[in-house]
Order: sequence, then structure tokens, then C-alpha cells
Amino acid sequence: MASSSSSGLTFKLHPLVIVNISDHYTRVKSQMNPPPLTSTSTTVNGVEPLQQAPRVYGCVIGVQRGRTVEIFNSFELLYDPSTHSLDRPFLEKKQELYKKVFPHFYILGWYSTGSDAQESDMHIHKALMDINESPLYVLLNPTINPAQKDLPVTIYESELHVIDGIPQLIFVRSSYTIETVEAERISVDHVAHLKPSDGGSAATQLAAHLTGIHSAIKMLNSRIRVLHHYLVGMQKGDVPCENSLLRQVSSLLRRLPAIESEKFQDDFLMEYNDTLLITYLAMFTNCSSTMNELVDKFNTAYDRHSRRGGRTAFI
Amino acid sequence: MDSAIAQKTWELENNILTVETPDPSSDSIFYYDETAQAKFQQEKPWANDPHYFKRVKISALALLKMVVHARSGGTIEVMGLMQGKTDGDAIIVMDAFALPVEGTETRVNAQADAYEYMVDYSQTNKQAGRLENVVGWYHSHPGYGCWLSGIDVSTQMLNQQFQEPFLAVVIDPTRTVSAGKVEIGAFRTYPEGHKPVDDPISEYQTIPLNKIEDFGVHCKQYYALDITYFKSSLDCHLLDLLWNKYWVNTLSSSPLLGNGDYVAGQISDLAEKLEQAENQLAHSRISPLGPSRKKEESQLAKITRDSAKITVEQVHGLMSQVIKDILFNSVRQSNRSPNEQSGPEPMVEA
Repeated sequence: MASSSSSGLTFKLHPLVIVNISDHYTRVKSQMNPPPLTSTSTTVNGVEPLQQAPRVYGCVIGVQRGRTVEIFNSFELLYDPSTHSLDRPFLEKKQELYKKVFPHFYILGWYSTGSDAQESDMHIHKALMDINESPLYVLLNPTINPAQKDLPVTIYESELHVIDGIPQLIFVRSSYTIETVEAERISVDHVAHLKPSDGGSAATQLAAHLTGIHSAIKMLNSRIRVLHHYLVGMQKGDVPCENSLLRQVSSLLRRLPAIESEKFQDDFLMEYNDTLLITYLAMFTNCSSTMNELVDKFNTAYDRHSRRGGRTAFI
Repeated sequence: MDSAIAQKTWELENNILTVETPDPSSDSIFYYDETAQAKFQQEKPWANDPHYFKRVKISALALLKMVVHARSGGTIEVMGLMQGKTDGDAIIVMDAFALPVEGTETRVNAQADAYEYMVDYSQTNKQAGRLENVVGWYHSHPGYGCWLSGIDVSTQMLNQQFQEPFLAVVIDPTRTVSAGKVEIGAFRTYPEGHKPVDDPISEYQTIPLNKIEDFGVHCKQYYALDITYFKSSLDCHLLDLLWNKYWVNTLSSSPLLGNGDYVAGQISDLAEKLEQAENQLAHSRISPLGPSRKKEESQLAKITRDSAKITVEQVHGLMSQVIKDILFNSVRQSNRSPNEQSGPEPMVEA
């Protein structure tokens, strides 16, 4: 059921959608399994209370510009287990509400939780086809697997394939990238790493900023190492030679240096100088403020008005 | 080993509380206990103590939604409502949603326009499994800090009379992006005529000149609450994994480019404040030493602090640019003769 998609659309997913789906799932799960009233009740019997893993459903909204589909937000939907379909009037109501606040967003598809796409999902998928001719299906796998390195979110599209002579719609997996705006990135960072939210001294701010960049560079480094390791293996002959990969790596390397024009250098230096100028200004302000304080303290300590030409013992 | 010691020292200095990685059993905060909430509503412990609520816990989802909504408004103020529950002296915000109202200067009671929306939304939410009630409102102050204006104070006082428990949250999306950390404040107003017993020192923030009067007149009528954040175990897991795809965005963000306008605005505002301070200084040179001198001095000190803040942010932005330049552009250096300079000189830390 899951081969790679050939529709040529690029998908961009915002982290808000992922957090939304996760929250929906956690909420429903915790309402179904109320926390024990006393802390000892879970261990008394030695048996874990039955943790049901509910499936939650919802709709994803966003914008489609040409071949790029960007998923910005999502909201919950009701699932009717008797008809195996989503509650239609509810969906329309919600869509109306969301249209008022986010007028640019359209319904792009639906989401659900689970480990793999199932046959019954195709039913729901087809029902949404009258809103959007080619809806998306976003699947989140809520089981926490510490060994997992990849994000357990998959995006499926539907394609018409001929199987056993019958044209059928099946789900095909598509790749996606995570897209974000600056504000989203900062708040995700904030929540993920729980950085100190108050001002702190300049040193801690600097440390926090540089730590962020350092982690990003560390990731870049580890990825490059993986590539390097692979290439060395290929050179030695441990790994079979794969020309397409070699071409990709070569094109990647040829992109360095990123920018080399004269104009870039000029602009860069101008920006550099601007920042130095601001630092200079700030230093000036700091200096004049300190001088001012010094003068005032001097005047207070050596008060000339009270005695002529003398100093007072200021207490 | 040194790095471990350095990290511990830093954590100690900044009172970092190591948040235990939440395990599935501690997701109990997500459980909505209808009867307990109703009982709390009956008791109204806040009626006697205006300073009753001291803390706010915001969920990851609510924060993300509020910041994204605030940022999407650009320079226009936006507002929305927050849903959640109470827990002793803490208000817990589980979710937030946007309201289709545009902020204007004369908006006094925006909820009147949006009541229908709110009722519709709450109903559909309850059906979909979101059981919490509305527990506050949030709005954005793009570029001018997290505080309550005169209109906000009167709106919040009204809310606190009729819709208790209610919380006001202010977000500044422009400063969030510029400073690289979330600018958010949670407030509750005191009832009319109540004088706070002690004056808690709130964190200093710079207020632009055209708003400073509005700020000063009302700043004693409300108090700020501590904000902490929480997330579920699944959120934790997903956010960790998200970092695997996310680091690209961290590296590619260019704060200098994005914040140019805002910084220019801040500097011109600072220049005006400096002129004001200068005029005051000229007037008070003849007058005897007194409290007026002290007040003017602290203004100059404030200006200094503001300028330091702007500079630090700029320097951070420049550092990112320099690092990126070295990483991605220094390949060309190997082609030139080794006598040439190798890029901009390292900056001296201010």
C-alpha cells in the first residue's frame, strides 16, 4: 500500500500541526483513562490499569500554491463508528469558524493516529474528496519508541492504480519537509528545551544563543560524517557504487561556497560595520551615563555651597 | 569534565529546574475533572484575596498557537481566548483559539462582537472532546512590550467581576522574534481601589515613548503572575525528534534581516528619550539636589540599559551571520594565497 508518491507535489508541515495532533490524542486518552486517585492504587494489584489507545481524527488546513502544499493548522473532528465516516455537519461548522479567523486556509485533508494506514481509512478519504480533489492523509504514530530516530509522522496521498485489472485508490507515502516561521521556531525551541525565560545577564543570553547554534552545527557535522563514512566505504568497495547518490553528493559539494560575489562582501561588511556602530553608540551612552553619575556623586560628596572653598566631611 | 562543571554552575546561577521528562502516568494534568472544577467554582476562594492566583501553567500547544496567531497579525493587535482550568493557586491554560476581531484603539469590549463565535466554538469543542472552559483572554502588543494598557485594564476588571476565574495574557511577537525568546506576560487586575501591600519588582522592559504614559498611569492596578510551561510525554518525544529536522531552520534563521525595521524604530525611540532626558538635565542643573535629580538619573540609566539590550541582540544576529559565513563561504580561502586575511576578525565580547 505504501510505495513512493509520483504526484510531484512538495509538502511542508508546520510543527504546530504535530503538537496539535499530539495534544488531541493525549487529551482523549487521559479522559478515557482517569488518573488513579491515590498514588498507590496502581501498584497494589501489581497490574497496570488498562491503557486504551484511542484513535483520534481531525482535519488539516493550509495553503496550496502551485505544486507546494503547506499545512499550517489542524482541528478535531468527530468520528462516527457506525457509519465509519466523519461527522459531516460538524466538519462544515468547524470549517466556517476557522474560515473567519484564518480566511486564507483551505481544507487540505485529514489526520488520524495509529501505526499504519488501514483499509477503512480509504472510506473516510473518499468522503473528503468532494471538498478537495486530492486530500492528504496525515498519520501520527503515538507509541513512544525511544529507539526511533525519525519523526513518526507520515503523509499519504491517494493514487489511482490498476490492481488485478481493477482501478483502485491506494495510499502512497509522500515525503515532506518541516517548514516554520521564526516565531514558531522560537516558541518550539522554548518549550522543547525550556530555556530560561527571564532576561538573565548578558552572559547567559549569549550562552543560550550560542548553544542553539552549536547544537545545529553539531547536527550538520554528524550528518556530514555519515555521508563521509558512506563514501569511504564506497571507495573501499564495501558498499556497492551508487551513481545517483554520488551525483547528489557532488552537486551538494559544488554548492559551496554559498555566495561569492563582490556585492555580497560589500553588504556583509556594511552590516558588520552597522553593528559595530551600534555597539559604539551603546558604549558612548554607557560612558556618558557613568560620567554623569560620577559628577553627581562628586557634587554630593564635595558640596561647595555650604562652606567656602572647603570640603565638608560628608556623612 | 570541565564542561559538566560549567554547565552545573550555569544551571545553579539561573535557577534552572530540571524538568523531569514526563512519563505517560504524569499526563494526568490533561485530565479534566468536571466535579472538582465545579466545586472550585462554587467555593470562590479568590473572592476574598485579590492576590489569590499566583502562577500560570501554559501548555506547549497553547503557547505555540498564541505566538503563531500573534505573529500572523503583523503590526495589528490580535486577540483570542484561552481554555483551561484551575488548580489551587495556579491557572492552567490547556488550549487557545483566535477570535475574528481586529484590534483598534477604541476597542473596549471586543468580546461583545465575538460572543457568537465563542459560543459556537466552545460547543463544537466540547463535542470533540475538549471539555475545559474559557479561563482567560490573550492579545498581542506588537513591538511595545507586555503590559496592560488602560483599555486592557478596564476590560480585565470587567472580566474579573463577571467571569471569574479569568486571566489576561499579553504577547509581543515582534520582540519575541527580535530577542530570540518568547515575550509573554500574564496579569490579573486588582479590584477598584485596592492598594497592593507590597510592590513586587517586575522584570524591566523598555516601553516606547508614545505608550509610556498609558503604561505609567495603570501599572499599579495589576500584578504579574509567574509563567511555567508544561508538555505531555508524547509532545516531549515528538519535539525531540522534531529537532532532527529542525536544526536546518535554526542555522538558516537570519535575525538581522528580519528585525531591521524594529531595531531602527527602537533606536529612534531611544534617541527621543535621550533628548527628553537631556532637557530635564539642563533644567535641573540649577535646582538643588533633591528627588528630581534622582529621577532623571534613573532615566539615563534606563536608556543605557535599553541601548545595551538592542546592541546585544544585534551582536547575536551578527554572530550568526559570521558563523554562517565561515561555515559556508570560507572554502574560497583555500584557493587564494595564504597571505591574505582569513575573513572578518573575531569579535571582542562586549
